[in-house]
Amino acid sequence: MLIVSKKVEGKPLTVTIEYPEYTEPVKNLVSKIKSLDVSFNAVADGKQMKISISDVYYIENVDRRLFLYTQKDVYRLSASMTDIDEIARESDLVRISRNCVMNTSHLAEIRQLKNSHLEATLDNDEKLIVSRKYLHDIKRRF
Amino acid sequence: MPVKKILQETCILAALMILAVFVCSIIWSGVTAEIELVLLLFGLALIITVVNYLFDEFLTLSIIVSYITKYIVFTGIVMLMGFIAGWFYPSNFWMAFIYVGIVFALAYAIDAFRVRMDIRYINEHIRKNRVNLS
Repeated sequence: MLIVSKKVEGKPLTVTIEYPEYTEPVKNLVSKIKSLDVSFNAVADGKQMKISISDVYYIENVDRRLFLYTQKDVYRLSASMTDIDEIARESDLVRISRNCVMNTSHLAEIRQLKNSHLEATLDNDEKLIVSRKYLHDIKRRF
Repeated sequence: MPVKKILQETCILAALMILAVFVCSIIWSGVTAEIELVLLLFGLALIITVVNYLFDEFLTLSIIVSYITKYIVFTGIVMLMGFIAGWFYPSNFWMAFIYVGIVFALAYAIDAFRVRMDIRYINEHIRKNRVNLS
């Protein structure tokens, strides 16, 4: 793969992908780049801020309130799980249980525990419980 | 062509063939006892699939407890359907435990194998991605 990057003044950031054939890896690359352009409006300590999707580790629904977790911080999100599912289709986010959506780009490992539950370890060492039902969806992201 | 794909296409083709034969049979001879049995089995499969979906969506149990609970509930559904359809008599209703048990043993084995393979696949890809990035 050849990567060409050049500075062009007066134009917004533009990514051009040239391919001999539109294959699955090309499709994945396009969706990955698209997902980098998505951000969430989140609130922490009364301040509103934009969190890029690539900084999101996971999003959890606790008592119908959504919380967004980055490497070290937690934010409150004013969106619904349906909105998150919509965004997840075009990004590395994937549902791992009824209440949780994880960013697979921060996934370090998945393992089966002794009680047969599944556990995902993220690259910040945080551990999440994965429902067996969603394992196949995670697999499809790789 | 991988074995999985061949098996998948064989099952789809077989299902289409059965469907075609059934439609022709219903048109020419009406709903015979055999066709009624298949339709009832289809209905039973639909009910079990819906209940299974609700279990997976709303309950978080360990796999063993989950399978035991499902086994009891699904056997109950099969028994009920069996009594309504006349498959079982009071003397042989326990056969439902055997039928459901066989299906469950197979489903458990396939599920355990699939989960292990999926975990291995995901972890291998994570490792490969990390090697490519470094």
